[in-house]
Amino acid sequence: MLSMKNISKVFKTDLVETHALRDFNLAVNEGEFVAVTGPSGSGKTTFLNIAGLLEGFNHGDYFLDGVNISNLSDNKSAAIRNEKIGFIFQGFNLISDLNLAENVEVPLRYRGFNAKERKVRVERALEQVGLAARMKHLPTQLSGGQQQRVAIARALAGEPRFLLADEPTGNLDSLMARQVMELLEDINKAGTTIIMVTHDADLARRAQRNIQIVDGQVCDFSMYQAGENRGKTQSIADAASVA
Amino acid sequence: MLQIRPIISMLMRSKSGPILLLVQIILSVAIVANASFIITERVSLMSRESGIAESEVFDLDIYNFDDGMDPVSQTKRDIEIIRNLEGVKAATVSSMTPLSGGGWASNFSYGTSKEDRVDAANAPLYYGDEQMIATLGLKLIEGRNFYPDEVLTGGSELASLLIVSKAYAQETFGDESPIGKVMYRGEIGNQPMKIIGVVERLQGAWVDNNNLERGMIINVELAAAFNRILVRADEEAIVGLKEAIPAALHKENPNRVVRGFTTISEHRNIVYRDHELMATVLSMMVVLLLLITSLGLAGMVMFNIERRTKQIGTRRALGAKKRDIVSFFLVENYLICITGGVIGGLIAVQLGQQLMALYSLPKLELFYPIATVAGLLVLTTFAVIFPAQKAAKISPATATRSV
Ligand SMILES: Nc1ncnc2c1ncn2[C@@H]1O[C@H](COP(=O)(O)OP(=O)(O)OP(=O)(O)O)[C@@H](O)[C@H]1O
Ligand SMILES: [Mg+2]
Repeated sequence: MLSMKNISKVFKTDLVETHALRDFNLAVNEGEFVAVTGPSGSGKTTFLNIAGLLEGFNHGDYFLDGVNISNLSDNKSAAIRNEKIGFIFQGFNLISDLNLAENVEVPLRYRGFNAKERKVRVERALEQVGLAARMKHLPTQLSGGQQQRVAIARALAGEPRFLLADEPTGNLDSLMARQVMELLEDINKAGTTIIMVTHDADLARRAQRNIQIVDGQVCDFSMYQAGENRGKTQSIADAASVA
Repeated sequence: MLQIRPIISMLMRSKSGPILLLVQIILSVAIVANASFIITERVSLMSRESGIAESEVFDLDIYNFDDGMDPVSQTKRDIEIIRNLEGVKAATVSSMTPLSGGGWASNFSYGTSKEDRVDAANAPLYYGDEQMIATLGLKLIEGRNFYPDEVLTGGSELASLLIVSKAYAQETFGDESPIGKVMYRGEIGNQPMKIIGVVERLQGAWVDNNNLERGMIINVELAAAFNRILVRADEEAIVGLKEAIPAALHKENPNRVVRGFTTISEHRNIVYRDHELMATVLSMMVVLLLLITSLGLAGMVMFNIERRTKQIGTRRALGAKKRDIVSFFLVENYLICITGGVIGGLIAVQLGQQLMALYSLPKLELFYPIATVAGLLVLTTFAVIFPAQKAAKISPATATRSV
């Protein structure tokens, strides 16, 4: 479903070259719930951005759903983001001048759905996150947890195959974080593949599969190996083969 | 995908920014529409043709101080002297100079009796001899010129024949030929004059008077202590004639002052100076207003792009193509522009009515507010599209990277 081989990503500024990812290998299967952890600056967001076609990479091969991502036009990657990928951000990224329904509608408009289809999908998505009653509210009238649920509704409305979440609970207290996590688990059970970056070890543990990114490379801990391998660095080849 | 409805929602919910821009556009449209209307009015006034060979014709005044002088014979001699000078094509004594802002006008009537008297419109009146048409360079389109022996020298009471402009003829007699018609000065029966010719065009002296186009010529060579003379000469000869004419006239009789030598082109510049100034000032104002409005638009867009960097990144992450971002800003500003344009257009019409009453201007044509809004839409496109294209380059990664 998702396969990255020898991906490397270098950020060049005038002063320094940062190797955010180096020889990064990962494969994710359809329906998996992958939690990504790792120290700050290790490359988690970079990985997620590349996975989600938000930024390019310097070397390697990336296939998503059988599509070679290396040489896509800007319009094509926008279309793939729109159709196949749902994003959830740490800061929710709701548009403050739009009400909840209009926020959820944003990607649907880019998809070219007609008004009726959009309405159905917006209502369904907001119902799914339990906020259908507050459609006309502005984001600022909601708590952080509720805002993140709206953002999840926005990600879900287009029925993506993938959900990519960068610290979705990072700005939430633990109760709200648990609710959001439960929502994501439900979504995953319904068949959506989820990759979630988190700093919360407890939340990570609830995921079906844990990978750790250290210094731009993957250390994979599958659930069934969790006991023995925690803390050790697996060889990259092994990590790839496990996936 | 035009996202008009959510953009309207956003505009309605955002605070002062769009309102200020809206007010600016409303004022611009109201002012620019009226100003450009006035400018075109003035320019079209200035570009009316006089029917005269303006650059070849100049006027001069002779003030005679010689008490014993006989005006009739002196005038005949003077005009003869001028006509014989090198470079002079034609010359005539005249009652006034075209486009000079000063001169004679009169009201004629026609009819068979006092009861069925019809008053013709007021008309600028040239007194002149058979060389008047050649001197001004007029085009005779119907009838004939005065014969030399039909022209009498002396006062206005000698007049008996008329050559009228086409404008006057049409206004007075419609499509009927004016040739042979008899006009009276004031009362029916009073000093009858017969129309013998029509010239295509002959403007009078006052460019702001509605009698301007109704020029007419009467068959009298005015002769008095003070004479106004019109001279037509080769353009290159005019400078020399400024010296040669006074010299020749003084040689004939030194007891007088000869002055003037202003071409009709120069008179035109002077007489239209206010119009030209008005048109120039208003044009500058229009350009300035449009410039300020464009800068306002561009500034607003740049400010919004700055403010919405993360939003733009997020929209891109959610599937917006680059052109969606560009059209987002275009639509947003078109909406402001059209709203301001409609309100501004209504105010422009209102303002036009005020100006009409205050300065006796014609009614503002609807074309002007509409053209102004159309022009503003073009300006909006230019002011918005370049910043918007930069906005479209904002990386989708901004969604996760920025705080
Ligand atoms: N646009 C950029 N320009 C230069 N360097 C960058 C850029 N984005 C990221 N980096 C660098 O790349 C490395 C990986 O960054 P990344 O954001 O992926 O880390 P992270 O694991 O998400 O960290 P955190 O847990 O703090 O979010 C860091 O050293 C970071 O400074
Ligand atoms: Mg990060």
